[in-house]
Amino acid sequence: MASPLTDRELKKGSAELLILSLVEDRPRHGYDIGQLIERRSRGALRFNVASLYPLLYRLEERGWVRGRWVEKAGQRRRRYYRLTRAGKKILAAQRHGWRDFVQAIGRITGIEYA
Amino acid sequence: MPEFKSEIRRSLAGLNLPPTREEEIVEELSQDLEERFEEALSHGASEEEAKQIALDELAESDSLSEQLRRMKMPLRQQPLTIGARKARQRFTGFWDDIRFGLRMLAKQRGFAVVAILTLGIGIGASTAMLSVVQDVLVRPLPYAHADRLYSIWASSDSTGQTRIASSGPDFLDYRDQNRSFTHIAEYIPRFIFTWTGEGEPRLVNCTAGSEDFFATLGVRPYLGRLYEPNEYTSLHDDSIIVSYRFWKNQLGGDPHVIGRTIRLQGESLAIIGVLPSMSDLFPDTDVWPKLTTNPSWPFMQWRSNKFLNVIGELRPGITPSMAGEDLTAILRRVPEEPRDVRVGLVSLKEELTGNVRVPLVATLAGASLILIVACINVAALLLARAVKRQSEMAVRVSLGAGRGRIVQQLLSEAMLLSAAGCAAGLLFAWSVLRVLPTFTDLPLPRADGVHLNGPALLITLAITVAVTLLFGWLPSLGFAQMNLSSALRPRGLEASGHSRSILSVLVIAEISCAVVLTISVGLLVHSFWRVMHVSPGYQPQSLLRVYIRNQSPPNDPEGLRKYNKENTTFWEDVLHEASSLPGIRHVAISDWRPGRDAALATLTFGDRINDETRLPTVEGSWVSADFFQTVATPLVAGRSFTDHDNADGQPVVIINSEAANQFWPGQNPVGKRIAINYTGPGRRTSDSGPRLREVIGIVGSIKHGALDAPARPAVYMPYLQDETDHDMSAMGLLVRSEGNIAGLPDRLRDRIHAIRAEQPVEIQNVEQLVAQSVATRRYTLILLGAFAAVGLLLAAVGVYGVISYATSQRAREFGIRIALGATRGRVISYVLRGSIVLTIVGSLAGVIGALLVTRALSSLLFEVSPLDVLSFSAAVALLALISIGASLLPAWRASRVDPIIAMQSE
Repeated sequence: MASPLTDRELKKGSAELLILSLVEDRPRHGYDIGQLIERRSRGALRFNVASLYPLLYRLEERGWVRGRWVEKAGQRRRRYYRLTRAGKKILAAQRHGWRDFVQAIGRITGIEYA
Repeated sequence: MPEFKSEIRRSLAGLNLPPTREEEIVEELSQDLEERFEEALSHGASEEEAKQIALDELAESDSLSEQLRRMKMPLRQQPLTIGARKARQRFTGFWDDIRFGLRMLAKQRGFAVVAILTLGIGIGASTAMLSVVQDVLVRPLPYAHADRLYSIWASSDSTGQTRIASSGPDFLDYRDQNRSFTHIAEYIPRFIFTWTGEGEPRLVNCTAGSEDFFATLGVRPYLGRLYEPNEYTSLHDDSIIVSYRFWKNQLGGDPHVIGRTIRLQGESLAIIGVLPSMSDLFPDTDVWPKLTTNPSWPFMQWRSNKFLNVIGELRPGITPSMAGEDLTAILRRVPEEPRDVRVGLVSLKEELTGNVRVPLVATLAGASLILIVACINVAALLLARAVKRQSEMAVRVSLGAGRGRIVQQLLSEAMLLSAAGCAAGLLFAWSVLRVLPTFTDLPLPRADGVHLNGPALLITLAITVAVTLLFGWLPSLGFAQMNLSSALRPRGLEASGHSRSILSVLVIAEISCAVVLTISVGLLVHSFWRVMHVSPGYQPQSLLRVYIRNQSPPNDPEGLRKYNKENTTFWEDVLHEASSLPGIRHVAISDWRPGRDAALATLTFGDRINDETRLPTVEGSWVSADFFQTVATPLVAGRSFTDHDNADGQPVVIINSEAANQFWPGQNPVGKRIAINYTGPGRRTSDSGPRLREVIGIVGSIKHGALDAPARPAVYMPYLQDETDHDMSAMGLLVRSEGNIAGLPDRLRDRIHAIRAEQPVEIQNVEQLVAQSVATRRYTLILLGAFAAVGLLLAAVGVYGVISYATSQRAREFGIRIALGATRGRVISYVLRGSIVLTIVGSLAGVIGALLVTRALSSLLFEVSPLDVLSFSAAVALLALISIGASLLPAWRASRVDPIIAMQSE
């Protein structure tokens, strides 16, 4: 596990990209997003409630994601977030930016990009 | 589960988020924390530990509020959605209910369509009738001081006359001596002029009023001017006022029409004014000649020539009965008047609409009954459905819905139904009222002023609201006593005895309304049948009437002699030409208008002392020799007229059997002598007394006017023996043909034009004239008949619905009965018994209701008692037949129940 400091720095820069990517293929609720980040990063990245939701709200405020309460049979109602059209553009741009950034870092530090 | 919300709220405190937004965040975060809590539990943490893990999420690193504060603004408010907290969603719930109700109705489309159509017909019929009643009977006439305008009629019990018009001298007395009126005027309501010089010669309808006539009504000209006072000082006409209708239809609405001349009765008259539309009081009037009192025409100067209408505007504070006393005193000073003569006032509106009051109110009552039946029907349908929905409601109640919530939902559904029904009804009413004025022979005054109007709309709206409440409330009764546990079980779907008895009461009410309607219509049908089978005393079939209006006679004796001679020749030529046409059996002339009326005459007897104040009034007509053969009225005694009964012959008269029985009971009138003082609309009689005539024959009694009016004593005289200078200016040619009359009118017109080119000719079918005399009766019958048919149909639907519902509820019971050996026939009779009980009780209630209301129909009945046994029993039998018929199908279905399937359904 990375040091808390690094973790925080990285998270700060990457959080938006992570969330946008996760809701790209289908709408997800907050708990789901948090779990997925933790699971797919194999525990390397973890957002607590106090930081994840404000982030979601910020993305929503910018119009990149949109939250909606959905009631499904046999389940409690949840707020699902889906990517908006504006969000899609941002996601594409950020992906591009990150790839360039990571490659640049790799070239300098000699770390292979997996 | 620990409670996280208060903790989250604490962290959000101080952010001053909008409450909705805050609540949303609280809910979203607490869900997240709860899931984390459960996750921790599942990983083996104790409850205390798990709670701490979850709460750490809030506490870790930047606090929640710190993070949120960074956002520039609070998030915009989210729309409220399904399932949001109760306190803030009363309205949302309403729309949810509406959506839900729409879904329910869409699922049961048949039910929805039947209910909406039923309500639509009920609401439509009653709204349309309300509009008609409002606009025809209630709305004041559009004249200044309309509430103080009255018509003036005399009556006398001793002579049996109830509506005696006025003579010229009567009017002058009223005008000069009364203390009750601010304005008073006389007028001749209808006479006919010829209009020539512009294409085909035509006839125009005239109304002529005396000097104060327009002031009495408060009428101002639409174009140009009215007659000036000095124009009323001369008999000579050189100017004319035309009606709005005539100006629009015949003069093309020409804005520069003032000053244009038209030829009426051969004289050129300059148009000086166009009146505003008076389609209510004078729907047919084309032109308005003036009527002068000084100087005046001779026929205006004879006391006994009572053919004028008088109207007056009462002084404020004077009641009609006070004015009546005033005028009675004036008329009683005249020596020739009956001692018991009375003058009465009839409000102008009553005069105009009095004839249609009872038919209209009866039809409105019929429409209201239909509405009641429709409401009952829908209520019964809803109630039956509500019982089916008991398990749905039970589920809702067990999930925590309060009774109020359930009623709210039922109300929303009812509102949907009644709103749709109301819309359908308004559409129906609107279209009916739109086509109404196209029925030109509709005997309805003010028909062109009938619209879907405010009061009717208000009442409709009130009805809709009431119906909504009723429909929402009734089914909720079914749930009041619902036993949750039994309702939730599949076999709990049975109606409680309570709701079944409500249903039965509804159906009984429905049947009784239908019975009342059917009995009323039965009475009308029976009356109509009697009217249509009443013998008019002549044969209207294959009989044509050709109305011929000649020029007006001149005023001087020499000119009049010449005029009479010319016209005698003219009429002889017309008779000759017409009788020589192929296919013609008989022709005659007469001044009688079949189906309308004959002129009136008073009689003086040669064989007794006559009381001048009590001379009997009879109907009368000037006729040519072949009159009775032409109209096919049998001679009862004596002889008929011949060609020798002309100006040179002895004066003769033929009376009808009614007159014979009344004036010479048990004697032979033939050979007796009577003098006939012939009066009538615009009729000229000389001032010298009429001569005595010998009664030469007795004929069967002719109904001169409407078929449903009684035949009255009548006299017929040869038109060539008109010693009173009867002007020959307007007579009718009666033509009896050999059946087929196609093409005959054109040939007749050609022959008449060959005699006199500029002669307007109006040809009418006498059978149609007679039919028109009972048009009010016919239309009332058609309307009420339609309502009764709808009422019966609705009753049938109601009975069918209830019986089939009741049998479907008891399928298991029937299954068991069949399994125990009951035959199918027994099951059928068992079901039918139920519907027979409903029918009997409903019919009884209906008959009692009918006994109470049919008396109000008396004036619409003809030779039929309001308690007519035939109508009552026919109506009840018809309804019994229909209601038993309606329950046959469900009974048959019940008998087909498969016992195994029925019992398995448990």
